[in-house]
Amino acid sequence: MAILKKAFENQVIDLLGRMHGVACRLTRNDADAEDLVAETVARAWRALDTLEHEAAFRGWIFKILHNTFLDECRRRGARPQFESFGCEEPEEGEQQFSVFEQMHQPFLLWFSNPEQEFLDKILRDDLERALATLPEHYRIVVILSDLEEFSYSEIAMTLAVPVGTVRSRLARARGTLQKILWQQARDAGLSAAPPARHECEDGKADTPRPATARQAARANKDWKS
Amino acid sequence: MTKHEIDCERALKQLFEFIDQELPEDRRDEMQRHLHTCRSCFSRFEFERRLKEKLGGLGKGEPSSGISDRITKLLSSL
Repeated sequence: MAILKKAFENQVIDLLGRMHGVACRLTRNDADAEDLVAETVARAWRALDTLEHEAAFRGWIFKILHNTFLDECRRRGARPQFESFGCEEPEEGEQQFSVFEQMHQPFLLWFSNPEQEFLDKILRDDLERALATLPEHYRIVVILSDLEEFSYSEIAMTLAVPVGTVRSRLARARGTLQKILWQQARDAGLSAAPPARHECEDGKADTPRPATARQAARANKDWKS
Repeated sequence: MTKHEIDCERALKQLFEFIDQELPEDRRDEMQRHLHTCRSCFSRFEFERRLKEKLGGLGKGEPSSGISDRITKLLSSL
């Protein structure tokens, strides 16, 4: 046994808020989240022999939490969207949706910054709503990476997938999350800017039409204000 | 490559790995050098970094008293 009961209890108490947060976002239901955490702790205690060293506790218990969630989905007859995603690698040239690409106007850099204003206006509720809308197999990687600050290898261990799959799934998940945030903003009155052009200081830059971009920036400044 | 050592296409391709601190040291250095000289990529970096930071803020919740009590009881019964 890698740790004693007291150390197990301390680790669980330290991680309880995190485990409960992840469970809430997976189940989208507070009562189910509490059941999931309780079942996870009970299973973890029974499986303590499988913990190789105390430093690995966080990844180990989140893996149990994730597996417990999958088991519960199977028990209820719901097929979790995590499973059986055969082709995870992005296809050649595949572009993920980017709010930045939608809003960025290079020639406005010194005057205003529409994409940063977009971020300023995003509320906690907007992010929670967007996260809840993500398919489960995308939601879990965003939660583990961006909310729980897991490394790619920890996520790979937790989800029992290769690191390359974590990388590609995260890219797609972030693109989908931004698409949802973008749609939410559009629904709330954000007007679209013309497609951004990439302007690098090595020359080769396209310049958007100034009048149109300026109008869009002005319109977006009023968004939700 | 003349100015940046890596071009914008490569910088954007590895941007998230840079933000997630998953790049090896040599690629991290080349990214940093590129971001110091390319305003457009730097703006994209700032946007993605801030969005990740905002998402990170969601994770720092306290457990409710209900779940705390339940788990405390469970732990003492083990």
